[in-house]
Amino acid sequence: MDQFLQHLVNAMVLGGAYALLGIGLTLIFGIMNVVNFTHGALYTFGAYAMYLASTALGMNFFLALPFAIVAGLALGALLELTLLRPLRGADIDTTMLVMIGAGIILQSGTLWIFGGVAKAIPSPFPDAPLQFAGVSISWLRLFVLLAAAALIALAYAMINGTRLGRAMRATFQDADTAALMGVNVRLIYTATFALGSSFAAAAGALLGPVYVVFPQMGDLAAVKAFAIVILGGLGSIAGATIGGFVLALAEEFGAGYVSSGYRDAMGFLIIIAVLLMKPTGLFARAERVG
Amino acid sequence: MLEIRDLECGYGPVAALKGISLDVGEGELVALIGANGAGKSTTLRTISGLVKPRAGTIRFRREDIAGADPARILSLGIAHCPEGRRVFPYMSVADNLAMGAYLRKDPIQVREDYDRVYSDFPRLAERRHQSAGTLSGGEQQMLAIGRALMSRPKLVMFDEPSLGLAPTIVEQTLRIIKAIRDGGATVLLVEQNAFAALELCDHAYLIETGRVVKRGLGPELIADPHVREAYLGG
Ligand SMILES: Nc1ncnc2c1ncn2[C@@H]1O[C@H](COP(=O)(O)OP(=O)(O)OP(=O)(O)O)[C@@H](O)[C@H]1O
Ligand SMILES: [Mg+2]
Repeated sequence: MDQFLQHLVNAMVLGGAYALLGIGLTLIFGIMNVVNFTHGALYTFGAYAMYLASTALGMNFFLALPFAIVAGLALGALLELTLLRPLRGADIDTTMLVMIGAGIILQSGTLWIFGGVAKAIPSPFPDAPLQFAGVSISWLRLFVLLAAAALIALAYAMINGTRLGRAMRATFQDADTAALMGVNVRLIYTATFALGSSFAAAAGALLGPVYVVFPQMGDLAAVKAFAIVILGGLGSIAGATIGGFVLALAEEFGAGYVSSGYRDAMGFLIIIAVLLMKPTGLFARAERVG
Repeated sequence: MLEIRDLECGYGPVAALKGISLDVGEGELVALIGANGAGKSTTLRTISGLVKPRAGTIRFRREDIAGADPARILSLGIAHCPEGRRVFPYMSVADNLAMGAYLRKDPIQVREDYDRVYSDFPRLAERRHQSAGTLSGGEQQMLAIGRALMSRPKLVMFDEPSLGLAPTIVEQTLRIIKAIRDGGATVLLVEQNAFAALELCDHAYLIETGRVVKRGLGPELIADPHVREAYLGG
């Protein structure tokens, strides 16, 4: 039983970060329809921004996190303005190849600047874990869970409750009509890509201190992000949130009760099962953003 | 109020408008009629800035708006209620109306306008939290009209508001459009239902393959042999 609860707690921590990764990609891939091969690189970028801020730049850990998220926002905006905006209307193969190229450049750049050796991000929390009802959780992981929950809540509030969020939803449901309402559609595309990127960066910045930071860390994260989005249904924020937690649960319990070697395979088994039974993902069209 | 001269535009190499000139005076209800593919929607889309003109001028209250941004054109007071209603299907009725007021910075008056739309269209009030995509065709048309009015436009352009609606709803829709004009707005109306449009309007333009081929008062066009033959079923 304790074992079970421990896995559950671990899965919640991981799931929060996965949900952020998935929400970011569902905005870009599910709604903007950009097959985004830079998502993993943005995850890595967030982790390195966190590393740089809390070591070389000497920032406080709690300041380094928003710094990394804003850096992800800025890099996302830059990618959209320089690569995607000129390519709007180009065919999907062209866009996809350019995004693959951008992903490779970002990853190689990271390798070139920081080297291939894994880095650790110093944690400001006490080493002794928190013990409760036979379950132990480190202060750092608890913080990761709370921060992820706060960011997920922020994403919901932004998309459902603000003027910008409404304009985003309108644009992705019907861009021409949104333009007739006075929406600057090109700005919305940039904002959405930047926002999606910042969520990937946030996931990297949160999981970076839990594990270690290395240039290829985004590869598996990107594959998982796509899996989460497909699992939750393209374009569904709620689906991406739940998908993130489902994947984390499958990984934790798969690793715990089946074989730890299968941790990264577990999620994919679930996804294959979902795609066989419900190819549109767990969430129906009616709950989609765009 | 609106003055269009020699307007030309196209989609890629295909010319859609080949020199359209038309005038809409303050407070008038002007109809644009013509067959499928004549260029009626393209004319409205060019006025509202969705399509960029290749040549010609569009003046609205003496300001040249040809090629301007849709947001700028809307903020000058031109609203466009598009063909096929085009409500945002996965957004609530209330959010659709909010989109109509997207550029407005006067929240108190916007509130009043919501209340006005809801009292004019009680069906929308009942369904304000429902997704627009779940409304009936007639309700969606009311929403599209309400949404266009949320910008407090001086000129409202309607593109085939009766398309695909039941006859009683068509009548109701045309009555609403007349009421909008009587309420002080200027209306440019595109209609397939040529007879209804000609009866309703002050004057009208007949468009064929991207050109204005006739203009006149409603009754004049109703009496015109060519119009009778081609558009009013003989
Ligand atoms: N998006 C587009 N791409 C290419 N050609 C287009 C496009 N939209 C319209 N056209 C062409 O431009 C011409 C004018 O079309 P438009 O939609 O303005 O006609 P319309 O008078 O509104 O017709 P309808 O009564 O069918 O709505 C047509 O020949 C049409 O095929
Ligand atoms: Mg048309």
